[in-house]
Amino acid sequence: MTDATATAGALERPRHATPDQGGWSWTASLFLAPAILLLAVFLLYPTISTIILSFEKGIDNYVRLFTRDPNFLTLRSFPPSGAFWNNILWVVFYTSGCVLFGLVIAVMAARVRYEALVKAIVFLPQAIAATALGVIWRFMYFPNPSTGALNAGLGVFGIDPIAWLGSPSFVNASLIVAGIWGSVGFATVILSAALKGISTEILEAARVDGARETQIFWRILVPMLSLPISVVAVTLIINVVKLFDLIFVMTRGGPGVSSRTIAFTMYQEALASRNFSYGAAVAVVMLVVLLPVMVFNVRRFRAERVVQ
Amino acid sequence: MTRFRMVVPIVALALMLTACPAGNTSTTQNPSTSASSGSGVSGATIEVTSLWGGAEATAFQAVLDAFTAKTGVKVTYTPVRQDYSTVLSNRIEQQQPPDVAIIPGIGFLRSFAKDNKLIALSELGIDDAALHSAYLPNLADMGTAVGAVNGTAYAVMVKLNSKSTIWYDPSRFTANNWQTPTDWPGLVALTNQIKTAGKTPWGLGASDSWTLTDWFESIYLRNSGEAAYDKLFSKDGDWADQSVKDAIKMMQDLLTNDNVAGGLDGALATAFVDGIGLVFGKNPTAEMYYEGGFVGGIATGDVNTALKVGQTIDFFDFPEINGSGAKITIGGDVMAALTKNPGVAEFMQYLASGEAGKVWVKGATIISPMNGVTGTDYPDSTKKEATQIVNSDLARFDGSDLLPGGPDLGAVLQQALQNPSGVDQSLTDFQTQVTDAWNS
Amino acid sequence: MTAFEPALKPPPRNIGERLVRMTQKAPIHVALVAIALIWLLPTIGLLITSIRPRNEIQASGWWTVFAGHLDFTISNYQQVLAQGNMLSAFFNSVSIVVPSTILPLILSSMAAFAFAWIRFPGRDLLFLTVIGMLLIPAQMTFIPLSRLVGQMHLGGSFIPIWLVHTAFALPFGIFLLRNFFITLPKDLIEAARIDGAGNVDIFRRIVVPLSVPALASLGIFQFLWTWNDLLMALVFAPRQGQPMTVQITTLLGTYASEWYILAAASFLVMVVPLAVFFSLQRYFVQGLLAGSVK
Repeated sequence: MTDATATAGALERPRHATPDQGGWSWTASLFLAPAILLLAVFLLYPTISTIILSFEKGIDNYVRLFTRDPNFLTLRSFPPSGAFWNNILWVVFYTSGCVLFGLVIAVMAARVRYEALVKAIVFLPQAIAATALGVIWRFMYFPNPSTGALNAGLGVFGIDPIAWLGSPSFVNASLIVAGIWGSVGFATVILSAALKGISTEILEAARVDGARETQIFWRILVPMLSLPISVVAVTLIINVVKLFDLIFVMTRGGPGVSSRTIAFTMYQEALASRNFSYGAAVAVVMLVVLLPVMVFNVRRFRAERVVQ
Repeated sequence: MTRFRMVVPIVALALMLTACPAGNTSTTQNPSTSASSGSGVSGATIEVTSLWGGAEATAFQAVLDAFTAKTGVKVTYTPVRQDYSTVLSNRIEQQQPPDVAIIPGIGFLRSFAKDNKLIALSELGIDDAALHSAYLPNLADMGTAVGAVNGTAYAVMVKLNSKSTIWYDPSRFTANNWQTPTDWPGLVALTNQIKTAGKTPWGLGASDSWTLTDWFESIYLRNSGEAAYDKLFSKDGDWADQSVKDAIKMMQDLLTNDNVAGGLDGALATAFVDGIGLVFGKNPTAEMYYEGGFVGGIATGDVNTALKVGQTIDFFDFPEINGSGAKITIGGDVMAALTKNPGVAEFMQYLASGEAGKVWVKGATIISPMNGVTGTDYPDSTKKEATQIVNSDLARFDGSDLLPGGPDLGAVLQQALQNPSGVDQSLTDFQTQVTDAWNS
Repeated sequence: MTAFEPALKPPPRNIGERLVRMTQKAPIHVALVAIALIWLLPTIGLLITSIRPRNEIQASGWWTVFAGHLDFTISNYQQVLAQGNMLSAFFNSVSIVVPSTILPLILSSMAAFAFAWIRFPGRDLLFLTVIGMLLIPAQMTFIPLSRLVGQMHLGGSFIPIWLVHTAFALPFGIFLLRNFFITLPKDLIEAARIDGAGNVDIFRRIVVPLSVPALASLGIFQFLWTWNDLLMALVFAPRQGQPMTVQITTLLGTYASEWYILAAASFLVMVVPLAVFFSLQRYFVQGLLAGSVK
């Protein structure tokens, strides 16, 4: 504990001139106490009790999860399959899709007068409950071209209907698209705000030097926005690993087990099936999976300190 | 600055306004306060939860009203339409259990019983003999068996539906000169006949994978008999057995890519209700739909209100296999008590009677397993289904509801249809998971 | 001065210049209109579906209305409003959401202030621990929390759902606000300290007023999340206090076959968040991370 604090503290130059800042100040506890108390009781305590529960039978739950539960992970075929693998797909494609779309929309919208309207429209899905989102997208994805919008569209070009949610090869992509549609607004709003902080002079100078817009985007905007981009990406990764309701309302993990994710498996085992101890093990795996994200966060936090 | 000062009083006000009604309700509902209300149960209030909403809830409410009229015990019905098991588990932990819960799966019943959350029926004035004789004779053994955990009776089977009905449009069958079959080869022949006529034989709504477990159970019971069926869905079941593979093979041969509307991928993207629409919607694309007796009500109520029972929608019995006789699979719900509050015993006893059954079946949503409810008690729309159940030689409870929670038979069957070559492997895997689940 | 305000450019001097500007931007306009359509269409589909007769919903797609298939009804909405006791569910939603939005705003801004502007030992470690709690999936905590609620005899009141919503909002709220607070001008805060202002005064008089956009953003997010929540309410809200999202599910039969009710009800639930969002969206334009208040 002291090690981490010392390092981070040493990197930081003193901020305040006031002398009493070194020791524990009672105002700090006043400001922190309510939040910390709630977090300890409502988040920390259940987490610890879940970890303990997952080891109820020693490590058998974990052995079962990785060796006897092909729905969770199986390496028999390539690409691998199972909830664990699907989550990797989600993290990679959903996160990059949201960030890329969000950034492109933010950059484009900034150059037109109806910027606010575009952002409002893209943000709209954030205001929609997961249940409604499921209803909306099932009307898009129905396999029958007389009720499914996408297949009706394909029919115009003479393409046979596709069972978006019924075919193991399409289902994850279809769900991820629905997920991106729902979350791009979040990325757009934050990145758009960050964009406003970039000085015009740099961009104008680049334009004067004859840089193309794509070069400006990749060489100037993306690096300059790396901090907000990483904030958005980290938030999205954390949310997507915990994502469960969209899958629950749209496919229930099917067809077969093709669209299960770790969070879906956890819900299915721990709550729907009342296998509390086994479900707890899934939850712990989920936390472990997210640890690298936290390590990244800590690193960035320290780097940020050096810059300051 | 001023803005922040204003926030605090607003919060305080909001907290007060909203906390008050909640505080009141919590004290009036606290079981301990109502428990001390003396020996007469009249005036007591109990709470019942189940999954039912919509028309099902309306039909059930009539039963509750009749009970209140009879005993003076008020019943609050709380529908929990989603995450039922989650809600029930948490309400128990919060010391706010409903007095009576209607539980859809036997796996859950066992799990709650194992954790000592249920009151045995014997403590509520219903002994084993009384329970057995409360059911219709041909359902009594099954009814008592599904309600018992390790030899103790916890639950009453209060309603059921046939899962041996194949739905079709008689007017279209007549126009094409198709005959309803009575045995499996007949069903296969009819399927081919429809295909030859340029139509798609089957609608299948299999994104709800329980429609496939119902197919499997109907075939397995008829093809391998009730002894094998009982064993398979018990702790001793062997999922790698040849009989399982045979039943799956029969499904695969009948429900081919060409025989189901939209192909197999399409069927696996189609929900149970949307599958009904494939056969009975305004623009039908398939001719037959296999699922439970409740299809009729959903088809006429939600899918297409223009349907006429007997003329444009009807069912024939799921055909016999190898002379299996009139064996049917059924799906049902069981009811168990979580408290011994005043009125609970009376309520359980009332629901385990033909008297309640007679009121309930009037709503045309269920079949009652109770002795004393006869064909004439049913409205026209459910009379035929009731007759099928009453006249059956033998009934078996939905097998997948008997399995412990966790392993997903429906998912195995979805995979079996989409990828026939993987069946052996997925059954071996499934056996491992089922063993783990039974032992946990 | 901001990077992309079109207003920053001098106004076009003549028609030729105006035309040049328009053609330069034409691809952007096309792309943005296409994006707007893609993002609107599914929702429009839901809206149209919700005013179509139930038999039609099963038979044909919502886009057929554009081909002259005009057959509309308000009976889906009537049915939802009549059956469901929606008014009391609406007030339940409000009772859950208002404290569940305001409490986290207060608690996380206080904590974020301490993390940003008060030095105390173990600050960084504590902050990282709080951020680490972002990882905790809500479903995992249900059973232990319910047990706690039972032991504290809080079952059947609104208090558990408020506290659970608040607790789960804190890691994100503290994370977001602390990142905003550290961008506030240091000179201003140090000047106040030299003038003898205590932390409480600095928080109330400087930090909070300067952070209205960030607080508003967080507030709107939290509002939307709690308004749309179904699972937490099912588990932790009192059973007489179930919000609209839960109430709607009770209108459906076992097989949730009633598309006409689902579509209309989904839209009804969206009305309040949409209204809040559109009336407060200027705060988004000011932005979540627009920390440079000058």
